Amino acid sequence: MTLATAGVFIAACGPGGTTTENLASPDKQILRANNGTEPNSFDPTQQTYTYERAVGIQTFDSLFRAKADGSDVEPVGATSYNVSPDGLTYTFHLRQNEKWSDGKPVVAGDWVYGWKHFLNPALAAGYVDPFFDQTIKGASGYGNVDVSSASAVDAYLNGLGLSAPDDHTFVVQLDHPAAYFKWVATLWMAVPLRKDIIEQAAGGAFASTDATKAEAWANNAATIVGNGPYKIKEIASKDHVTLVPNPNYWAPAPHLQQIIYYEIADGNTAYSQYQTGALDVIGVPLADVTVVRSDPKLSKEAILIPTLSQYWISMNTTRAPLDDKNVRMALAKSVDRDKLVNDIEHGNGKSLSTFIPKGMSGYDTSDNAQSFDPAAAKQLLATSGKKDALAKMKLLTRNTTASKTLNQFLADQWSTNLGVNIQLDVIDSKTVTRDIRKGQFDIYGLDGWIGDYPDQQDWFDIFVTGSCHNLNWGCLSDPSYDDLVTKADAESDKTKRASMYSQAQKKLIDNAVVAFMYQPYEYDLVKSYVKGLTVTTTDDQNLPGDGRYNTAFITQHT
Amino acid sequence: MAVIAGRPARGALLPPQLRALTGTRSGALAIFVVRRILWMVPIVFFVIVITFTLMHLAPGSPWDKGGGRQLSDTVVNNLNIRYGLNKPVFTPWFDFSTGHFIPFRWDDQFKLYIWNVAHFDFGLSYQYQGKTVSTLLLESWPYTATIGVLAFLLIIPIGVGLGVVAALRQNTRIDYITMGFATIAASFPNFVIGALMVVAFSVLAYRATGGNFYLPAAGFAMDDSLIMPVVTLALLPIAYTARLTRASTLETIRQDFVRTAWAKGLPERLVVVRHVLKNSLIPVVTTLGPTFAFLVTGSVIVETVFAIPGIGRAFVVAIESRDYPMILGTTILFSLVVAIANLVVDVLYVFIDPRVRLT
Repeated sequence: MTLATAGVFIAACGPGGTTTENLASPDKQILRANNGTEPNSFDPTQQTYTYERAVGIQTFDSLFRAKADGSDVEPVGATSYNVSPDGLTYTFHLRQNEKWSDGKPVVAGDWVYGWKHFLNPALAAGYVDPFFDQTIKGASGYGNVDVSSASAVDAYLNGLGLSAPDDHTFVVQLDHPAAYFKWVATLWMAVPLRKDIIEQAAGGAFASTDATKAEAWANNAATIVGNGPYKIKEIASKDHVTLVPNPNYWAPAPHLQQIIYYEIADGNTAYSQYQTGALDVIGVPLADVTVVRSDPKLSKEAILIPTLSQYWISMNTTRAPLDDKNVRMALAKSVDRDKLVNDIEHGNGKSLSTFIPKGMSGYDTSDNAQSFDPAAAKQLLATSGKKDALAKMKLLTRNTTASKTLNQFLADQWSTNLGVNIQLDVIDSKTVTRDIRKGQFDIYGLDGWIGDYPDQQDWFDIFVTGSCHNLNWGCLSDPSYDDLVTKADAESDKTKRASMYSQAQKKLIDNAVVAFMYQPYEYDLVKSYVKGLTVTTTDDQNLPGDGRYNTAFITQHT
Repeated sequence: MAVIAGRPARGALLPPQLRALTGTRSGALAIFVVRRILWMVPIVFFVIVITFTLMHLAPGSPWDKGGGRQLSDTVVNNLNIRYGLNKPVFTPWFDFSTGHFIPFRWDDQFKLYIWNVAHFDFGLSYQYQGKTVSTLLLESWPYTATIGVLAFLLIIPIGVGLGVVAALRQNTRIDYITMGFATIAASFPNFVIGALMVVAFSVLAYRATGGNFYLPAAGFAMDDSLIMPVVTLALLPIAYTARLTRASTLETIRQDFVRTAWAKGLPERLVVVRHVLKNSLIPVVTTLGPTFAFLVTGSVIVETVFAIPGIGRAFVVAIESRDYPMILGTTILFSLVVAIANLVVDVLYVFIDPRVRLT
């Protein structure tokens, strides 16, 4: 497999260049972008949503980050690492002279403290599962800890395979070999934290069961001391967050002297703000995409970025006639994905009837088992003899404009190409989530996944047995698939690993437990005076280049 | 409403020390106000009971996400413990299956909440980690209240003024124009008005003037960014108030005492201000109380269109995310605002209408 997407440079200079002609004065080096929503927490360990991570990755550095082309990890908080021959012990060599934003040195003990804070069951961080509690040694008892007992929580945390033999060495022991663990170390919630500051904000030492005191520091810009490239200057609740460079950061000082993340929920409002010069970067609302494309000025400022995501339709394999593979395949093969991307998404996406999205290893569209083929679909359904039963199925739909539009399109496609009228069952979003968690649905669309990191383990683990009713809504249970994925997750040989994931993808497609639809692309507007953004597939969708703001700068403009 | 004109034997149920007070006008008013304030306690209690019940009947949990991978059962379980959601919502008194009374317990979610509210502790938000509901309300309400009060200040002169002018010039061009405006303003939903204003006064104005003269499309500051949200918010109540004032004024100017005033040869200004307005404004004042409460509790649409970090949007977001303490805290605040606005209106009656006695 070749890697398709390299980092896209949108700069006056060539890739890798640092030409900063026409640089605006430092007081004009302000980037104003729309982050959409206020983070629910400024503590990275508690963050689960993209709009939270957006602030988290600026204020805190993990051990590694994804390379711009997504091919591997590159050092941030750590400069190198060793894996023991049995694959169970990761020794991270931390960056020498790394400092916190208040000037104190970052030591290995801060990493141990931060990871334990994250893994504290009393805090119930949203991202503990499944990357950490099933990987780190001693962490698998996470769900059985009595979170009302400080001694039980302490015993659990002290039993974790996390240690700091010296100030610059952070050792993580695993339960089982995990070839993807270097990627886990790039995640935004796996960061160091400052014990002294957290305790000071809490008014002194506190019990490990006291979640309120443990989070007191994270609501005050003054006590959010991080090791990331930027630090928080101001939190104007539900309006904006202002970031300024961390003066003690290890890398050369960036050009951008301020990043202001506005929290404008309505895309149309953000679009108006962009047009009146109040914002420099926005995501284009779906309704305005065609206007932007045809506008001579705006179209020049627009960029289309593939996201590491894929959308699919889930089919409940425990309900007849969807327990029949041929029926599921008939549904999968009767949707014209190109039409979907063009008509519904206005071209912001890529039709994709395979699993792994473009931009990461494992992307391979050669398997056309689910590809659009109405004749073959009709044939499959006729052979199964379950056309009438299929017509009784309902398509569960969230009560949002986007979901209703998409699902109406799917129903129309099935009606046209398959001759089956499937009714939409439109209900409020919370009820939909409740129902799919209980497995109470026939067909549910569209759901999908945005990758946490460009490694296939992040994707294939979704459909292993036992993950039932959590994104694997249709409850695929295929022991041969589980076996391949478990082995591939642990395999350190790249070629063998890729081959096993490739076989697993084929099984997933052939089983048609989900019908793969399309990879969404992000359509953003960036003012022409914003230069040097390093845009990658792991950036936040509305914040192109946010993984590497150190390359960005503002040029002189009126 | 405890406003009854001309009822005898006022204060009969009061203790003798206080009964003496009822004899004076200001004493009666003070007792009325104190009593109404005390009534707010049971009102708030019932608001809590209803909100609590409805909120927990609504499907979904605070931890469900709108798509993608959901939190694991373990994390959900620990979150429930962290926020006390593992306790029963209500404890029933009687078990119909066994026919026994259930022992009283203090620590169900409802009783704990009432206990905390009695101590002015409205709890922690589920959505915004480590933030109290009181903090969130204090952060967002000032924005909403500022816009609401400004809108209210527009309603009285413009709404009442247009209504009176239209009534005095009934069936003239002025009347038709005024009422035509009121009908249009009342029939356009404010998300349409807001969006149209943004296009006209922000986007197109910016383009036309090269960025020299336009109104900001979003944000909140004590400057021109307030114009569009305030106008959008005020338009419907202005239209409503104008129509009501016109109708009420038309009724008043046909009364005998107005004819007498004209017959006495009083100048128009005196007739209108002293005789007509004083009487025609009584029904208008009745509606201004609820209107004020409506304006300062925020409009989700205005706050969304103009990206104002106010309480109206916070309330809707809290409901969508099932942030129970935030829903309850906001509802309590709103119910107090409505109760106080109504109380103020009732007190104002005393000064506007001498026939009104408070009991």
